[in-house]
Amino acid sequence: MAETQSPTIKLYIRVALLLGVLTAIEVGLFYLVEFTGMTQAMATPLLLGLAASKFLIVVGYFMHLKYEKPLLSRTFAIGAVLAGGLYAVVIADTIVSYLNNA
Amino acid sequence: MSAHAIGESTGVENRKLGMWFFLSSEFLFFGALITNYMLFKGRDLPAGVPTPFGIYDIPFTSFSSFVLLMSSLTMVLAHHALHEGDQRGTRTWLLTTAGLGLTFLAGQFFEFSEFYLKGAGLSVAPVWSSFFVLTGFHGAHVFIGVLMLLILFSTSVRNGELSEAHGLNVELVGLYWHFVDIIWIVIFTVVYLIP
Repeated sequence: MAETQSPTIKLYIRVALLLGVLTAIEVGLFYLVEFTGMTQAMATPLLLGLAASKFLIVVGYFMHLKYEKPLLSRTFAIGAVLAGGLYAVVIADTIVSYLNNA
Repeated sequence: MSAHAIGESTGVENRKLGMWFFLSSEFLFFGALITNYMLFKGRDLPAGVPTPFGIYDIPFTSFSSFVLLMSSLTMVLAHHALHEGDQRGTRTWLLTTAGLGLTFLAGQFFEFSEFYLKGAGLSVAPVWSSFFVLTGFHGAHVFIGVLMLLILFSTSVRNGELSEAHGLNVELVGLYWHFVDIIWIVIFTVVYLIP
């Protein structure tokens, strides 16, 4: 952890509670699609946004990347961007295949 | 700058930088496994093979996810306690984190058993192969994390304390543990919640 700033226990507990609330909202969205008129097309971007928020909160506060040198953020981002790129290529290929077969 | 980083040209302790590179490479590993699952999850299944969304137990998996999220809190509390010189607190939180990790693994074992009894298996269909490989590898990572936590705990008990040098070890194990948590955040949403 960088020693310029040190999060307090209170902050860690607040962050954990926020993560719990975001998880509950995710599960709630899943059931809204199951039992109400909410479409998956509406829920999917919200679910991905919530997952991305949880991801960034854990990385920022629990892994202390918010308080670390930019070198570590860049190092971590390389893998994340490459993995995201791989995912995007496959999804794009799947969409193109679907459209060709339609 | 941390005391460990003195003399490092990057200003970051080499082992810590190495851990971040390792975690970055792990993204590609899990990215490939998640993508593999995504490719197969919409495909037709042989007769008698259940679809993943037909047998997922979302309330149960939600509880497991919550357990793993809370283990990230206890891990960071262990690191914080060590930073404050609270050796007893460090031991308590390390052991709690390992316990939560084992609870998650027990849940995964139960889930796999349930799926197997309902007709899913490693070789019944590509979607199930990719599911078990993805979640199985994640479980293996959790297991390795639990072992590292227990090693830190036993070192602390044996030596009576964790020294300054061990402080970095706690931080590195913590980074690994949080990484396992963020991978599960992605798996839980992409694999379990989005059909």
